Amino acid sequence: MGGVVLETLSWKKLIILGLFLLFLLITFFLIGGLIAPRPTNVVHVIGTKCVNKGGVGNKEWFIPRGGSEKCIQYSSLDDPGIEDDRISANQIVFSFWLPHPREGIQLDFSRWQQTMISVLDLTILYDDENQVEDDAIIQLDARISYRDKEDDVNDWKELASSLEERQLRCEMEGKKENGYAYNCDLLSFFELGSLHYDYYLINIKVPVEPYKGINAGIGNLRDITLVGIHQNGGFTKVWLSIKTVMFPVVLAVLIWFWRRIGQLSRPPNLLERTLFALGIAMSILNCPLEWFTLAIDMPFMLLITDIRQGGFYAMLLCFWIIFTGEHIMDQCERNRLVLYWKHLLAVVIGCFCLLLFELSERGVQLANPFFSIWVTGVGAKLALSFIIVAAIAASCYFFFLCYMIFLVFRNISAKKVALPSMSKSRRSFYMGLIYRFKFLMLATLVCSALTVVFFIISQLSEGQWKWGDEDPSLEYTSAFFTGVYGMWNIYVIGLLSMYAPSHKQFVQGSNAGGDSQEEEVQLTYLPSSSETSAIQSFAAKVAAD
Amino acid sequence: MCCANMATYKSWWNLLLKLTIFWIHTYSTCAFNEIWWNLGMSGVLQNPNLYIVGTKTMCVQLKGLSLGQQKLCTLYHDHMPSVGSGAQMGINECQYQFRFRRWNCTTIQGDTSVFGPVLQIPSREAAFTHAISAAGVIHAISRSCREGDLASCGCSRAMRPKDLNRDYIWGGCGDNIEYGYRFAKAFVDVREKEKNHPRHSEALSRMLMNLHNNEAGRRAVYNYAKVACKCHGVSGSCSLKTCWQQLPTFREIGERLKERYDGAVEVKFNKRGTRLKRKHKKYNKPSKEDLIYIDQSPDYCQASKDTGSLGTTGRECNKGSDGMDGCNLMCCGRGYNTFKKTIVERCNCKFVWCCHVKCKTCESVKDIHVCK
Repeated sequence: MGGVVLETLSWKKLIILGLFLLFLLITFFLIGGLIAPRPTNVVHVIGTKCVNKGGVGNKEWFIPRGGSEKCIQYSSLDDPGIEDDRISANQIVFSFWLPHPREGIQLDFSRWQQTMISVLDLTILYDDENQVEDDAIIQLDARISYRDKEDDVNDWKELASSLEERQLRCEMEGKKENGYAYNCDLLSFFELGSLHYDYYLINIKVPVEPYKGINAGIGNLRDITLVGIHQNGGFTKVWLSIKTVMFPVVLAVLIWFWRRIGQLSRPPNLLERTLFALGIAMSILNCPLEWFTLAIDMPFMLLITDIRQGGFYAMLLCFWIIFTGEHIMDQCERNRLVLYWKHLLAVVIGCFCLLLFELSERGVQLANPFFSIWVTGVGAKLALSFIIVAAIAASCYFFFLCYMIFLVFRNISAKKVALPSMSKSRRSFYMGLIYRFKFLMLATLVCSALTVVFFIISQLSEGQWKWGDEDPSLEYTSAFFTGVYGMWNIYVIGLLSMYAPSHKQFVQGSNAGGDSQEEEVQLTYLPSSSETSAIQSFAAKVAAD
Repeated sequence: MCCANMATYKSWWNLLLKLTIFWIHTYSTCAFNEIWWNLGMSGVLQNPNLYIVGTKTMCVQLKGLSLGQQKLCTLYHDHMPSVGSGAQMGINECQYQFRFRRWNCTTIQGDTSVFGPVLQIPSREAAFTHAISAAGVIHAISRSCREGDLASCGCSRAMRPKDLNRDYIWGGCGDNIEYGYRFAKAFVDVREKEKNHPRHSEALSRMLMNLHNNEAGRRAVYNYAKVACKCHGVSGSCSLKTCWQQLPTFREIGERLKERYDGAVEVKFNKRGTRLKRKHKKYNKPSKEDLIYIDQSPDYCQASKDTGSLGTTGRECNKGSDGMDGCNLMCCGRGYNTFKKTIVERCNCKFVWCCHVKCKTCESVKDIHVCK
């Protein structure tokens, strides 16, 4: 009978293969842990307090450092000069030039650093007479521009500008005394999908219009700190290398798998088609498109990567459902996608919601990097409802999956009781079925457990991070990413190679007569198989003998 | 033979002469007890002539720097304004925290020891000033790094500046608080480590005390830096989380060190006379974050030439209070005079978040109590 590769492998070969895959997995983990730096890093910039002498409509750029192009600035907003010169709040511009100079060199961003997101950290000092109001809203007139190293020092080109509102959530912990700082939540600021240029300059005005109540109740704002989070170039290099190696490998295995199926006399069944689709989703995720970002400005890369990743996980979820469904071993004939519509609908609805959320957050950010769906009331409710629907879909999915796994196990135990009374070929067919299912269950459980464990470790190591501790010799967060990524690649490769149809024939020994009946048995599907029929056929065979 | 002898004799003389000069030099700095806190006094770093003369001369001219600090000054001359503002922050915070105490951190203009001779006593107050000024330097340096003011701020991952940009692209730069800590440690502690003191000597005990308290001040900054995090994984999930350190406000640091001041541990030499240990066994061992002192403080009641205390005569006190700021304790039982004073204040102001405010002026009459 034509089984899958997994069944024809001897224990020795299987163990060697398992060890090899484990070795690969550890390698992926160590590549991330030892070679790659942390996935992201932070630039802290405290805004330089520049003075706009040119009136409200002035569109010039205020540059915090440099020679003659440097703006007129005060070291602090408590500088007596501000009072003496009668500078008003509307004239103050907070200016940030990223990145910093270090060790006497003006650093510049590299395209390897891929993306940058930023948050604002406001320093608001308590003042009896000027407190932060409840539900205060801060309005920021924000502009961002870029320049390359070789450009003229004044040649800043606008990337985006927007008038943004953010909810202030500030509270006083401990003493309410003048000079103590509020503890304010961080404000999300902008997300750049590509770091294509060398320098970025951000100008923020906090305009005041007392009659309209704009920026009236925001307290004594003293400083704005911009925290820019960019990907590390080293991490990108390691990540891209992994992708570049894995892409052709998975693609080759996928082609081999499909050719094996093509050699069969029957058309591919549902499970084989699903496995093929999973391989395609993996290849799409593996495709090292990021190489193009080194040459072309691709701010949509963040969105594409998220969609690719979502696509892969959706495919994986579908695969689990179909695989389990095809192994239930009851009378119904499956092998048709339509039968799984309930389960797949849960996946589709969940993924569709997350896609909508993604498009309305990162999609809109392509046009306005300062946009965030969470900052407006309606947007936050919409985003929350997307996520809730996705969560409901996910729980439905897991209910379905658990129920189907329960069915499989129930049938397995029933079959095990009946196994000794079956014909040899039928027994080997069922044993193969059970073996295949258990093998996948084990592999999936190990992979999921490892993902969860890695995730927890990386989260703990990140959350408890405090400087002064010895630098960890392993970079857990990077190891988590490369390890998990490599693991699912290995998982897909393993599935494609193990569950491909085998060329080898079972040597059936004495009961060679049964083979002819079983020849048409496909990967999982046994026509009209039930306990009674099995026993009947057994009895018939005995009688014939 | 004879000539060789003469040469040895001469070189010996030379050495002796040099040693004497060195001894006089060190003795003189000790006598005036110059300290780098002087950079925080108004008018020291603001002097516009200072920057014209070149870094080397500038560093020699800055009063209060020890020899090692002068060397660091020439290497990192752009850090000096930050050191100055750190010292100033320390002094201001000290004055804020001690505004209701008999010793109120008064600075003496023109004296390079900044707080006057009273801090020659290895007291709790001396411990506090060392800690708060060390904390001021790390705070100011880290802040300046974040403002982009200090072009020469460190990027700890880079060993060689040549490869700086490459290293930065590979793994980013290190934390600024860490850099501030390292610089503050080098700069503040070098003053104490320049000389060797014999065992059991007063100078050694003072050196050990200062080093401990400087470290306690620095730890007050970085041990209490808050960790903030941002999630930015797929669809904004927390699969990728980045955390960083937030500098605590200097008021919080001052408050923390004031608590340490209240719980400071009295110490004495161990038997070998090389280290300090707690004097009373019933108190806990001082940790690295605790302040330590050797001698009890004077009561600061009377102006005294011996201790250098300024006394509390002429200080304002609070008539209704039972605390240290109450007239009874503040004036050490000498009684107080009461004046009526007209106070002109801003009132009915229209505040916005910054800058020039439109106010009315209001007058009120207040009773002021001043110690005799």
